[in-house]
Order: sequence, then C-alpha cells, then structure tokens
Amino acid sequence: MRNAMKVAKWEIKRNMKNKTFLIGLFLTPLLIVGFGLIGSWIGGDSDDGAEGDEMTVFINDEIGIIDELSQYASESGLDFRIEETNVEIGEVAAELEEAEDTAYVFLNEAALNEGVIPVYIAEDVDSFFSNQLAIFQAPILSYQMETLGLTEEQSLAVSRGIHFAEMDAEEITDDGALEDEAAGEDFLAGIVPASFGGIIFISILFTGMAMFQSASQEKKDKIAEIILSSVTPEELMQGKIIGYFVLGLVQAAVLLVFLVPFILFTTDIPLFEYLFVPETLLFVFIAVLNYLMFAAIFVGIGATIEDVTTSGNFQGIVMMLPFLPFIFIGPVVADPSGLMAQIGTYIPFTAPGVLLLRLTMLDVWPWLEIGISLAIIIVSVFIFVRLAGKIFKVGILMYGKNATPGEIWKWLKA
Amino acid sequence: MDLMLEVNGLNKSFKDKQVLKNISFEVKKGEIMAILGPNGAGKSTTIRNIMGIMYPDDGTVTFHNHQGKGIPQNKIGYLPEERGLYKNVKVMDILLYLADLKDYPVGKAKERVLAYLKKFDLEGKENVKMEELSKGMGQKVQFIGAVIHEPELLILDEPFSGLDPVSQEIFKDEIRSLRDNGTAILLSSHQMNLVEEMCDRLFMIQRGEKVIYGSLDAVKQEYANFKCTIRGSNERSTLEAIPDVENIEQDGDVSILYLTKDVNPNHWLKQLPDDVTIQELAIDRVSLHEIFIDIATDKHLMPEEGEVHA
Repeated sequence: MRNAMKVAKWEIKRNMKNKTFLIGLFLTPLLIVGFGLIGSWIGGDSDDGAEGDEMTVFINDEIGIIDELSQYASESGLDFRIEETNVEIGEVAAELEEAEDTAYVFLNEAALNEGVIPVYIAEDVDSFFSNQLAIFQAPILSYQMETLGLTEEQSLAVSRGIHFAEMDAEEITDDGALEDEAAGEDFLAGIVPASFGGIIFISILFTGMAMFQSASQEKKDKIAEIILSSVTPEELMQGKIIGYFVLGLVQAAVLLVFLVPFILFTTDIPLFEYLFVPETLLFVFIAVLNYLMFAAIFVGIGATIEDVTTSGNFQGIVMMLPFLPFIFIGPVVADPSGLMAQIGTYIPFTAPGVLLLRLTMLDVWPWLEIGISLAIIIVSVFIFVRLAGKIFKVGILMYGKNATPGEIWKWLKA
Repeated sequence: MDLMLEVNGLNKSFKDKQVLKNISFEVKKGEIMAILGPNGAGKSTTIRNIMGIMYPDDGTVTFHNHQGKGIPQNKIGYLPEERGLYKNVKVMDILLYLADLKDYPVGKAKERVLAYLKKFDLEGKENVKMEELSKGMGQKVQFIGAVIHEPELLILDEPFSGLDPVSQEIFKDEIRSLRDNGTAILLSSHQMNLVEEMCDRLFMIQRGEKVIYGSLDAVKQEYANFKCTIRGSNERSTLEAIPDVENIEQDGDVSILYLTKDVNPNHWLKQLPDDVTIQELAIDRVSLHEIFIDIATDKHLMPEEGEVHA
C-alpha cells in the first residue's frame, strides 16, 4: 500500500505540473459558467419575447377591486402597469388603434354574472397575455363569492375547485397523510445535494477516462517494466486509481470554487443550507463507487491499448459504458419509480447514475432498492477491480500491439 | 566471491512453446556476467523471470544476501530491454520518483542524479523535460534511473542497443566501475564485441537452452579455436587434405580453415603442403562473435556444445 501511495502521489504531482491538465482543470468550470451565462442571456431574451415590453392594462372597474388586482399582478411578477380608465367599450377600437402593448379590461356586474369578462388588446400583443391574465381569476372569483355572502372558508373551499391527482400508494407516510411535496423549495433541497454528487460524479468520471490515457501511455512510453521492477502491478494499478481519484476531487473542487459563487450571485438559492444534509453523503458515496468501478475498467482496458487509433471495437464499446446511464435519463425522468428506472438501478454500469437521478426525483426514497443497488455496485466494484488487476498485469507489459478480446478473455481466466 | 543471484532450472512456456529450458546460472558480487544469444533466444524472458515480471513454470530464483520472501526490489537495479520514461516530465522529477520507489532518500538521490548527469555529459539537463532529450540522452537518463539507488545487483537488458560509440564507451566505463565497486552485474546483449571486452563470465543461450556457460577465458580456450584464413585460389580437396582441419568455409579466393582444438599453430603452419596457394595468410582465434554467429545460424562449424567451468 505504501508503494501504491507513492505511485498515487507521483500521478498527482505529474498531472498538476502538466499544462494540459491544468488548462482542462480551469477550462471546464469556465465553460460551464460561460454556458450558464449565455444560457441566461438567451433565456432572458426569450422571456422578453414572451412577455413583450411592459403591458399597460387599462381597467374599467365598476366593481372596485382594481387595487387588489394591481397587488396581485405585482406579486406574481407580471410586467403589468395597471391603470384605471373610464373608456367605454364603444371607444376602445379608437384607443387601441395607435397603442402598443395595451389592453382594456371591462369589469362590471353584468360581465361577472355572465362569467365572461371582455378584454380588448392592441394588435401587437402576443397570445401569452391572455394566459397571464388568468391570474386575475382568483381575486375576481373571491370578490364574486364575497358578494354572494359566502364566508371566507366557504369561498376558499369553492374557489379551490376539485382536482384529480395521481398518487403513489407507496408514498403514503406512516401517519396516513399523503406527502404533499408541492413546494419548489423541497425540489431544490433534493437537487442541490444531488447536483453536488453529480459534479463529483462527472469530474471523477472524466479523470477516470484520463486514467485510461495514462495506462495506455505507460505502455506507449514503455516505462511499465521499469516501474514494475520496484512495485507490483497491483500496487501500480491501485496507485493510479487513487491518484486519479484525488485529481478528480481537485477537479470537482475547482469546479465548485467557480460554480458556487456563480450560483450564489445569480440566484437566491440558499445553497449551503441545502448542501449540508445527510443526503449529500450518500450521493458522494455513490459517485465514489461509480468512480472506482469505471476507474478499474478504464485502467484495465487502458493497459490493453497502446495505440488508441488502432484499437478495436471492443475497447471502444467498453469506453462507452460510463455513458450508459444516459439511456435511462428519459424513462427515469418520466417515471422515477417505473420499470426502466428499477432495471437501471440493478445494472452495475448504470446503477450509480440512475440511482443518483432517481434519488433526486423521488420524494420518498425506496430504501430497499437503494440497498440492493448499493450492494450490486459494491460487489461489481470489487469484481471489476480484480478483473482489471488481471488484465493490467499482463496487458501493461505487452508491447507493440493492442490486445484482442480473445487475449483479454484468456488473461481473465488465468 | 559472494553469490548474489542464483537461477536454478528455469522452465517457461508460452502456449505450447517452451521458451526456457532448464536455465541455471549464478551471478556473483563484483563480476559482470553476460547472457548472450540471438534475438528471441530467451534472454529477456530469463531476466523478466528473475525480476518477477513473469513467473517461471518451474525452477527457482534465489537472491542471496536477502532474508525473507520475494524479490529484494530495493537492492536491484533494472534496465529493461523495452524501456522508456514518461515524456512530459522533468529529468530530475522522474529520477527522484524512481529513487523514491526504491526507498532511497531524496537528498542523496538528488546529489547522485546531479553527479551522474555530469558524468554522462548531461550537466544542467535536470530541469529539461524528457521529450526534449535525444534518444541517446534518454537512454543515459534511463541508465541513471537503474543505478540511482546504489543497487547490489544490476540487471541490464541490452544496455547498448541504440547507443552511439561514444555513449557506448561511457556506459562500458560506468558498468566496469560499478563492478569494481562490488556490484553484481547481469548483462544481456547480442553485441558480442562489447561483451567480449568487459564480461567476466558468460552464459550463451539459444532457443531457450544453455549453449555455453563459463568464464570468458575458459570459453575462449574451449571454443575459440584457431582459424586460418588463406587468400589464394585453392581446391577444397587440397585444403581438406591438411591435417587438423575441422571445417572449411570458402568464399571465392578466401578460405577459412577452422582448426581442431588442440592444434599447435607453429606445428600446424610448418606442415602446410606446398601445393596450397597462399597470397595472404592469417591465423588467429575464433572470436566470441563468430562463436555466436555459429551457434545462432546452426552451422556448427565448431565443436559441440558443453560446459566450461570457471
């Protein structure tokens, strides 16, 4: 183990002194932040397009709720300027002819009784406007009920209406109440630790792939035999896995150093409050296991390839394994407890990724599935590290050619 | 002399092909022991089995002077045949790493690196990256890497391959001086002339089998018979009539007569028949190189194989 640590230390030192690695280290977060900014610009533009410029909404208010409406509008963040007007319906056409971003709303008892409130808009106003107007339904309705003489409770009950909601029977909590996690805050509370895990997941995945390079390079530079005169192949492999793990954490740390301030400045998510929860630990644990699994696979496969350009399909397919979870993203998002999601949870290559995604989306964690999945991952890690060791031992010393799947199979059996 | 390494009855097969057959030899303290043989004879395989990079099917490798199990990696310096170093790192960094892997103290290692760089005409190159060095310079750095930790046993697999004559001399001098300081050196090569100059004992291997094993002097006495090179057109039958001639090789006007082992050159010359045309005549001992070629090409111009004791 001491030798493995020496190798690890060396790999870290070597990469930290390597310009390519350093550039990549800082470029990754810059790119992410950069795309984030571009995204928010583009996103901002499209919002403008949808909402248009400030809407001037003239209300001919015969029932006296204009104050409430303006309050509602400003609370819901709509870009409305609400003004009272005495313009009659007959004059509207003339008023709107020259106007832009303007609407006239006629609120009166007759309209309320009919249930249709006439709205006239200028030509350039887009179709989103009538959707936006829908927020006025609530105050108008409550006014209506008030005038009908309902108590506040009664009116609340009526105005809430009836909805059908699909519920998951498994999610009934002990006290019998349905867990109602509608609030966006709870969603954030789930997504922040998961994103944290995800960042570590991706960072160490990338460095895991760098490890493939490193093992392959070892062959190409023909240094393996020199190193192996001092350490065992197992120690060399372990050292590489540990070293690149640390490098992955460095990458994750750099990423966070850039991302955290960016998120804090651009949003008002109370990041740290969400981050320091027990869930984060589980996510990180899953990410680490995922790293170990793919690190073992990559270091093993790397040891069979001297020249990437002439490597066969087999190695190429193995290289794609870490991206397998992406196949499950669609089905899992659609139904985090569905069959596909469960299948993904039990396949070693996809388990960490799918588990991470599911735990983010599920309000109540299926502990049994998590347990089984973790067990599968841990056993796989153990197996893959052993198999990789066997491949690495022979592969790293095979000069001048890439190993064929047949040869690799033979080494595995040995 | 103290025994450092003892190899006994090594057997190794790849698939159904036996590449090492009952290989046994020793390396002593303060000597240069050479493993010679043509390409593919099994030199590197033997060495890899000693280094624990491969495991023999049969046989033992014993490191004397070492208590406990396994290979005393920190006492061995190894320069493999297939060698290289990380390209994008500095000379000093890689050498200190190699020293560290051997548990050699950093401070001392640094001093030795600088001293060796100076000795090998690489002074001031310690902060240069490996990829900026020429191939020869790279080889020198690799050599430093093999000896940086003052190994008791130094194993060099084809140390001279790819070196220019000047660098070869530097390596030869260094290897000799290491020997004189008591290092046991096992060296493999197919460059006979170099080995002949410096080795104390040799082990010649062909197709995984021992051909010759013994001290250089003994081998020469045993195998390096006299040969007589005659220029002048002579019939083969004329030459065959000369006594004590074991083999004749003819190429146009040049005939090489390989003489029997116990021949006395003075005597032999005196009894040369008159009908032999001689434009030029030279008599000398067969060189290690010729023995090697002879064995490698299976011509068997010379006596049968056997063992010579040192």
